Amino acid sequence: MEQTLGQVGAKALNEALRSGAEAEAFLMQGKELSIEVVKGQVETLKQAEEIGLGIRVLKQGRTGFAFTSDLSSSAVKQAVEDAIKISVLATPDEHQILPEKAEYLNLNLYDQATAAMSVEEKIEIARSTEHSALSVDRRISIIERSAYGDVEYCNLIMNTKGLYAYENGNYCGIHIFLVAEDDNDAQNGFSSMSVRKAWDLSPARIGKEAAGNALRALHAKRVGSGRMPIVLDPYVATRFCGIIASMVNAEAVQKGKSLLAGKIGEQVAASCCTIVDHALLADGIASAPFDSEGVPSKNKTIIENGVLNTYLHNTYTARKEGGKSTGNAQRGSFRGLPGVGSSNFSLVPGSLEKDYLLDGIEQGLYVTEVMGMHTANPISGDFSIGAAGLVIENGVLSYPFRGVTIAGNMSEFLMNIDALASDLRYYGGKGAPSLRLKELSIAGD
Amino acid sequence: MLDKALLAEVIGVAYGQGLDLAEIYVEEKQVGNIWLEDNRIEKIHSGREKGAGIRVVKANNTAYVYTNDLSRQGLIKAAALARDAIGGQLGSQQAASSWQERKAPLRLDCLSLDWEERIQLIMEANQAARGVSQLIRQVMIAAADVQKQIQIANSRGEYIEEQQSRVRLLVNTVAENKGKIQTGYESIGGVGGWELLEHISLSQMALKAAELSVRMLAAPPAPAGKMPVVMSSEAGGTMVHEACGHGLEADLVQKGLSVYKNKLGQKVAADCVSVIDDATLADKYGSYCFDDEGCRGQRNLLIEKGILKTYLYDWLSARRDGVASTGNGRRESYQHKPVVRMSNTLIAPGQDNPEDIIASTPHGLLVKKMGGGQVNTTNGDFVFDVQEGYLIQDGQIKHPVRGATLIGNGPLVLSNIDGVGHDLGFSLGVCGKDGQGVPVADAQPTIRIKELTVGGTA
Repeated sequence: MEQTLGQVGAKALNEALRSGAEAEAFLMQGKELSIEVVKGQVETLKQAEEIGLGIRVLKQGRTGFAFTSDLSSSAVKQAVEDAIKISVLATPDEHQILPEKAEYLNLNLYDQATAAMSVEEKIEIARSTEHSALSVDRRISIIERSAYGDVEYCNLIMNTKGLYAYENGNYCGIHIFLVAEDDNDAQNGFSSMSVRKAWDLSPARIGKEAAGNALRALHAKRVGSGRMPIVLDPYVATRFCGIIASMVNAEAVQKGKSLLAGKIGEQVAASCCTIVDHALLADGIASAPFDSEGVPSKNKTIIENGVLNTYLHNTYTARKEGGKSTGNAQRGSFRGLPGVGSSNFSLVPGSLEKDYLLDGIEQGLYVTEVMGMHTANPISGDFSIGAAGLVIENGVLSYPFRGVTIAGNMSEFLMNIDALASDLRYYGGKGAPSLRLKELSIAGD
Repeated sequence: MLDKALLAEVIGVAYGQGLDLAEIYVEEKQVGNIWLEDNRIEKIHSGREKGAGIRVVKANNTAYVYTNDLSRQGLIKAAALARDAIGGQLGSQQAASSWQERKAPLRLDCLSLDWEERIQLIMEANQAARGVSQLIRQVMIAAADVQKQIQIANSRGEYIEEQQSRVRLLVNTVAENKGKIQTGYESIGGVGGWELLEHISLSQMALKAAELSVRMLAAPPAPAGKMPVVMSSEAGGTMVHEACGHGLEADLVQKGLSVYKNKLGQKVAADCVSVIDDATLADKYGSYCFDDEGCRGQRNLLIEKGILKTYLYDWLSARRDGVASTGNGRRESYQHKPVVRMSNTLIAPGQDNPEDIIASTPHGLLVKKMGGGQVNTTNGDFVFDVQEGYLIQDGQIKHPVRGATLIGNGPLVLSNIDGVGHDLGFSLGVCGKDGQGVPVADAQPTIRIKELTVGGTA
């Protein structure tokens, strides 16, 4: 595949050079399989192959971009022409440059054993997840789906400065959605895990966990409004990590769209709070030897003991500040220009067992589920989201609640973190341990 | 466009013995996007993509294979892969021998704008927004258009051709004062071309967004707790989309994942509430002639005066219930199998005068602009974001409040509606389900909900 993609890339770069432009070709080829099982039967099986080219041209400081899924000579030529034609219309920007060629580490992100697994074995993984969920309790009445999925990808980045970066890798995951029913009440349960090596999947654990999540949510009560201490489980804490990742994105910072603008070296979070972006993490889902424009990846500490250390940069945002890219250029596919994004981004765990976080909380909420997280505003930092979970009474978990909102601002959220547990868990490329917030506003009855 | 003889050959390969359906969906797409930010045209994208998705169904099981290799060899390979995945035997069944063809009428009235014209409109709008106040720190404007050519062919001999074009425009503004940041947002979109701007100009949108972000800087936090909520028609219909739309999608209902299951013919809302899903509305963002499996889009009365009349169906879920599809089988692209989706969903206008609804509210929250939302269909709980809200006191609109999300329970909220205005306002968005986004519009008249939890901090 490398050779096929390389030929197309070389052709695209040559076309661009002929028109007097610098250029970058981003090529990807991907394969995807997903299997959804319900009651032991394969309800949906999806297999996919995708290939495409994104071409970025730079001419007199002006950027143009076009993409195509057709890699025939004529289509590639057309894409380069489109990109050059568009570039004329863009505003010139002296900071737009292509990165220089570089050397990369070999991270061994392709697992032969996962690739060699048969479809039947993969179906069996989804079945065993479902089976373990159903065997927890007879109130687990509906399996919406128990799914297995994997992805194989080849990425090639080439530019007219001689940069050549090729990687191939794979990863896989399972997830399960189910419902527990009891006495006219029905509640959802969900769990998931993604790993680099299929061998590391734990279907039994994920099935049981989803069942447990649904069962403990049955017969939830409403709670009143007020301000109280909150403990977030790793899943919910990870969702908040996603907002923090947008706030340290240099693109947002430079455009006045982050509360953390101008705060390098300042205390922006509680001193127990350290956040890292580890692109070279062994077996990390978002690990890669280089970023989406071919800059070598590295591990960084973003917030150290509450002090903001660095933002996430690509070549463009770094150059704007006279610095170096942190290797955080990111693109979702061949269909877009590189932006800025995190790799394996996590809140570093503390040393406490989760239960110790509950100690001393007379009345509080343990939040295990949030709704409308996408409405949290990373620019203003304001969030007000639906929450469900368990009420904390006198230091222990008590009855379930739902139908309330938790609200506040991210700057206060970060300063309010007062304890972190040791149970770090990754959900895809982001992770967090359970964490405790001194207090947050609750709106309920 | 692929040759019909080739489509027949592909269907022939996919339609193995014992299968109930083989279908191919072919899509060719051109997109053009422009982004302005930081006072400059930051990105311009142009792209072309084509691909095909092959679906085979046996009883309740589906295999779906997609590829962007549209050569004969590539398609035949994909068809065989799908057939084998579902255990279809070699030796295909006889698919229908001749095509029953349907074509969506071609639209010739779409206004197109070249890149230069779009850029000029965008630059003017940027100036308009920046001119509102010195507190405006950032203006982001995005303009996107997409044209799709679609072919659908299946083993029942149906052949459908449709061309779709859509335009969407967004303005985001950021205002800042003494370290506090607020944002404003406006968007429009529709089926068709740039004639969309005849209703509201891009500069007017930019002004509205900028004014909102500045106004919200001065707004105190929203209250927390239960209170009456009036939703203005201009807020659009996110609420109805979340509170009942998703719960009426038959695939969820059949799996037992909806609070509206087993409720056909029963009362699920107040008498003054009727809910409609209508793909046939002219030029709305969620409109279409045929859905993405070839069934004609239609107007479906879902709730009539509080009584649940029907669910929304695609082909597969309709077959399970032994009814006809309601034309709601939609997919994001050739990379996705069709699932049950809304089109344009609305609460039908009622009898009340919108001003009277506000005037008769002693205290509460007035919602003038909604943002995104989410629902848990299993228990009916939903949230949606309020982007512009005001306190109501003694029937008068008072000061704006910021940062409120509303949280409620679908069936409870629909039963708690006690005022329905004779007006109607639309909003649009991209609705996500099963990892697929499709364009939708939602609408509602001005309505009042007796009691809803407002998730502020004050």
